[in-house]
Formats: sequence, C-alpha cells, structure tokens
Amino acid sequence: MGYGKPEMMAAAIIREIKAGDVVFHGLASSTIMVAMKAAKALGIEYTYVTLSDGVDHDWKRPPYVASTLTENTYTGSVATFGLDEIFDLFASGKGDIAFLSCLQMDKEGRIAMSYLGGDYDHPKLRGPGGAGSATLTPITPRTTIWKPQHDKKTFVEHVDFATTMPALDKEFTLITPLCIFRKPIGEKYLKLDCIFPYTTIEEVKENTGWAIDETEVPVMDAPTEAELAALKQVDPNNILAFEFK
Amino acid sequence: MIHALRAGAYGVPFLPVAGMWGSDLVAQRPEFYSVMKSPFDGTEVVCVKALAPDYAIIHVQEADIYGNCRILGPSYQDLLLARAAKKVIITTERIVGTYRMEEEPKLTAIPHFLVEAVVDLPGGAKPGICYPEYLTVDWADHKAYQKAVKAGEVSLFADKMLEGRL
Repeated sequence: MGYGKPEMMAAAIIREIKAGDVVFHGLASSTIMVAMKAAKALGIEYTYVTLSDGVDHDWKRPPYVASTLTENTYTGSVATFGLDEIFDLFASGKGDIAFLSCLQMDKEGRIAMSYLGGDYDHPKLRGPGGAGSATLTPITPRTTIWKPQHDKKTFVEHVDFATTMPALDKEFTLITPLCIFRKPIGEKYLKLDCIFPYTTIEEVKENTGWAIDETEVPVMDAPTEAELAALKQVDPNNILAFEFK
Repeated sequence: MIHALRAGAYGVPFLPVAGMWGSDLVAQRPEFYSVMKSPFDGTEVVCVKALAPDYAIIHVQEADIYGNCRILGPSYQDLLLARAAKKVIITTERIVGTYRMEEEPKLTAIPHFLVEAVVDLPGGAKPGICYPEYLTVDWADHKAYQKAVKAGEVSLFADKMLEGRL
C-alpha cells in the first residue's frame, strides 16, 4: 500500500497517542481528526475530547467535510464535555495531549497565532486568536503542534508576537510533513528528533528558518499496513488530503 | 474569554486563569490581562477582567413562551453566556409547551428568569449548523453572507434570507 506526506504525518500523530491518554484538538483540525479516529480504529484506548462538546464520539462514522465542528465529532458520544470544562480539565492536570497548530513558530517553540506582519492592531494577516492555545500550551503535559507545511515562512528564526510558548517543565512536540522536533522537559530549544523516510536532514535544514545542530537522527518507520488500513477505514472521503492541497 | 465571562457571571471584577505564561497577549492588552500574586502563597497568576455583555443572542432547539430553553445538541458556552450577559434574547427552532420542561427539568439549560425575549425562528442558525435539526453548513449561503459582510450589505442579506430569496 502506498503512502504520501498526509499518511506519514497521520501515522506520526497516531504514534503520539498512548492508552489512557485524554486527548484534545482545536478548531479546523482535519488532519488530527482523521488520525485520532484511526487511532481508535487501531484499538488504542484513549479519550477523545473536542470543541463539539462530544466525548468519544462514534469514530466509525466517516467525516464528510474538513470542518471538525460538525455533528461528526458529536454523534454517538458517551457524554458531553464543553470547552470550558476541557480548559479546567487541563488546568487541573487531568489532560495529556493538546493537538494545536500555528501560523509561525521559532526554535523556542514560540507560536504566532494572533497575527502576522504589521502590528497587533493593523496586521497583514489576522489569525484565529489563539488565547485557547495560550491557556493550554504552558499547562499541557504534551502539547503537540502539527503543521501541514514545512517551509522558512512558517518555521522562522524569531517570532515577533508570540501568542504562546512552551513551559520549561513540559514536553512540547512539533510534527511537520518532513520530521518531528521535540523540546524535552527542562530544555528551552526544539531539537530535531527524527525525519520521515522520504526526506533528508539537508532538506529539513533547507526548509527551516532556525539553525539545526543535529547531524544524525533516526528515520521514523513508514506507516504500517495496519495504520494505512485504519486511515482508509475511518476516512473513505479522504478528508486527510484537505490540508495538503 | 471563558474566564472573563465566568467572572461576569460570578459577579466578581476579575478571575485568575491557568496558563497564559509566555504569551505576548498579556502585555499587549493590559486593559484585559494583569499578573497578580496569590494572597495565599505568593504564586504568580495571570488574571482576566470580567466580561458582562449587554446582550447575548442564543439560538436553541426548543423554548417555551416564558423563555425556558432546551439545548438538545452541543451547548458550547451558551449556558455561561446566558449567565454572564445582562440581557438574553432567545431564538428558537420551535416553541414547545412548558410540560416538556416539567417532564425533564434537568434538560432546561437556560431558565426563564434569565431571558428577556423569545423569538420563534425556525432555521435561525442557518447557514450554520443546529444539531440535530440541520447538520451541515450551507456553503453557498455562507459565501453569500461573507460577500454581504465585505460589501456592507448584511441587512439586505438578512432580508433576503428571511424572505427565502437567497
């Protein structure tokens, strides 16, 4: 079975989720939604909470649009749990992973989510706000950022206005179509953790705006047949491709 | 925002929030964020100023003529909004008899005494979603709405929509 960047990224996301985890994703997160449904299909026993109010919705019902705020992430839920309660859950240390995204990021994991270019009141691009990620990122044990583009416009040397940044005492992970960066607990900067089978450290360096010191990193295993089958099972409409167009 | 609305609903001037450390938003908006020390152990916390909107307009699946509301799909932050706002206007998919609330009082998400007015407005959340009444966004109408916003013609759009002429 063949795979491309979307399937590799989805497999990397699935592998972040462990049994027993309580996992949240934000708005407009179709890549994460498909990967999380596939993680359910693979039998990983974790809890899925999201802005739709649903808890562990019926993952067998395939998504038909890329929006993650439809009945598809609500129907068949075993409970309702609102965003206000989700913030409280993570604030009180009972959440594990928050999957969030960014407009830009730098080597410290400082994230631009509010705006790009110009200034706060007169931006070139107004972002979705991101006070939610400002609340969650510093308190979540394993904040995991995914970004379907890997280029120097996105991963820059210095973010001008940081909507949020990781805490020193928390894990922080960045998953891109080429590789995974991690900020270990107690450290300040992202380190290249592994690269995907179809790329090289050189390609990652060429497309990253900060200096990468690592010279040798492991290559992550390609998606397994089981992972690819799970992705296909939960996503017959190929919503996974949406963010890679 | 949620904590600001909570402070509004609780009737206190501000509330401490978890997280927010390292965010440039705190310095950017001093009229909304402030850093304080806990009076108990000196821990530093970010605080947000209370927010009490003049009006909250909330669309529900069922309401009675007194303003008792049942939210049958996701309720998002509607309960909080209804408690933080000074006045609440309800639009509803349908008006139901109060006996529905008497049968299952726990399903009444917003009680009548918080509500100023009830508007019988089937389809009132369109072109958005109102689970389980309509499940998908009407993208054609949504684009027409965006176009109307850009052109400053929202009231014209609303007229057309209410008259079914979109």
